[in-house]
Amino acid sequence: MFLALKEIRHEKLRYGLIVGMVVLVSYLVFVLSGLAYGLAQQNTQAIATWDAQKIAVTSDANDSLAQSLMTKQTANKVTLTKHEAYIGQAGVVAKAKGQPKLSAQFLGINRGEFIYRKLTVTSGHKPTTSRQILVDDSFKTNGYHLGDKVSLGATGGKFKIVGFTHNAKLSVAPVIYGTLVTWRTLSHVTSDFKAGGIVSNRSGFKPQTSDLKTLTMSQFINKLPGYSAQNTTFTFMIAFLMVIAMVVIAVFLYILTMQKLPNYAVLRAQGIPAKVLVTTTISQALILVVGGLVIGAALTAATVLVLPAGLPMSFNVPLLAGVTGGILLTGVLGALIPVRIILHVDPVSVIGG
Amino acid sequence: MPALTLAHVSKQFGHDTNQVTVLKDVNFEAEAGQVSLVIGPSGSGKSTFLTIAGGIQTPTAGEVHVQDQSLQQLAGKARDALRLNKIGFILQAYNLIPYLSVQDQFTLVDRVKPRGNLTAEQLANLLDQLGIANLTKQYPGELSGGQTQRVAIARALYQNPDIILADEPTAALDSDRVKVVGQLLHDLAKQHNKAIVVVTHDLRLQEFADKTYAIMDGRMTLA
Ligand SMILES: Nc1ncnc2c1ncn2[C@@H]1O[C@H](COP(=O)(O)OP(=O)(O)O)[C@@H](O)[C@H]1O
Ligand SMILES: [Mg+2]
Repeated sequence: MFLALKEIRHEKLRYGLIVGMVVLVSYLVFVLSGLAYGLAQQNTQAIATWDAQKIAVTSDANDSLAQSLMTKQTANKVTLTKHEAYIGQAGVVAKAKGQPKLSAQFLGINRGEFIYRKLTVTSGHKPTTSRQILVDDSFKTNGYHLGDKVSLGATGGKFKIVGFTHNAKLSVAPVIYGTLVTWRTLSHVTSDFKAGGIVSNRSGFKPQTSDLKTLTMSQFINKLPGYSAQNTTFTFMIAFLMVIAMVVIAVFLYILTMQKLPNYAVLRAQGIPAKVLVTTTISQALILVVGGLVIGAALTAATVLVLPAGLPMSFNVPLLAGVTGGILLTGVLGALIPVRIILHVDPVSVIGG
Repeated sequence: MPALTLAHVSKQFGHDTNQVTVLKDVNFEAEAGQVSLVIGPSGSGKSTFLTIAGGIQTPTAGEVHVQDQSLQQLAGKARDALRLNKIGFILQAYNLIPYLSVQDQFTLVDRVKPRGNLTAEQLANLLDQLGIANLTKQYPGELSGGQTQRVAIARALYQNPDIILADEPTAALDSDRVKVVGQLLHDLAKQHNKAIVVVTHDLRLQEFADKTYAIMDGRMTLA
């Protein structure tokens, strides 16, 4: 530690540059994983608030609730307990006078069923008639108010916003909660159709009919359009970035170590154990990487503060811990490469001439 | 018992037609309380001799003993420990760690070997004697060649080793400083009972030696 710190203090520019690199890499990794997580959340937030376990959609819907239309006949084959709720999804464009158009996901649910009960309202109240809707907070940030009359398509007339709810996003669009009656109108289906599917908060939920296919929530989420493609893309970007970071850090540490070999040879000649020099190199790498991470994290925090609110960036502890751990590991791996050279440094090389 | 003994030591480098024999049947003894000088021209094998004597290179044939310990019988780590505790090297080049101040060069030794080093008072006296007491805050890059050499000497002595191996310790010094260093090595031998081995081509050191060897093309003879 003594040697490590003394050297960093003496070679400020050199080590400053390495820290700078770690800062940039960790900043990029933090921001990317924040965006990845934020986007993933906007795909699924609404679902998460229901605390649901299973969803049943029609067998021909290709695991998509938006494509699922469940007839009364099919619905009658399943008895719902207080753990189940009917649901129907329809993509809509919301428009109120003097307000911007917003693409949204309309979710039709029944009053009294568990999804409705789970909804929390940040202002206003839950809808009590089929002309009333509860909408995601982002409507408010886009200028909508309680009481605004909103059209959700060419047909169906206007609906009144009676409440706002938090974290209601599905497929990166704000959610509008209304009734299944409205869902039928927006989906252009008759009352022969009961709903889109059934959501349950029991893990044992399994309708005994081949008309319906039951998915776990995570299966369902992975089938949301674009969701797994997005995640894979981000995962690969972050993984590649980590690998590049490792190579770059390793190369830097390698060059630094090569430059220090004559010094290390002197120390070896004086009987300083190789272990001390290895510890020095690794603790140096850790100091540099931790320093870089801290600054990178601070930069990320600053970025979050100045970014427009609409940008999907969010963090959670496991995610941050994973990213931080990954970069730390990267740094240590990078530092381990020159260790071999240090162990083989030849003290004879500095004696003579 | 001599502090350092080399018996029938040979050293060859390379193989077959590239083979060179740098040391040929070298016999050498250094006693505690004496300055042993090895004088020879450049390329005669002085540094090779010194590295073998200090256990950082192994001879092709022959035996090296530090006090009663045969170096051949020590594993790498034990040889490190022996160097750290018993042997001080004064090297010809790269003596000092560039990113440590003069004071920190000594502190580093304390970190690795907490016991048996010079006390603060002894160190202050030593630096005073060498005329470098005012340089403790400097970095090696800020020192002249002669100052560097004197700090390196202090650095080797700081470990308080029984044996001091010096490779051309006066190379960068003017005649006055040569006298100071020669006297210092002489005093160390006499007052602190150290075995001092100096390899050099500098004949000016001869007057401080108790025993002088000559080395020429790898053959050592007692002068
Ligand atoms: N590792 C080595 N491989 C081959 N030849 C070497 C090696 N080390 C030293 N030599 C040769 O041994 C001879 C003596 O070298 P050295 O001990 O450094 O002499 P001095 O210190 O007296 O100048 C030189 O000719 C040198 O080229
Ligand atoms: Mg030499």
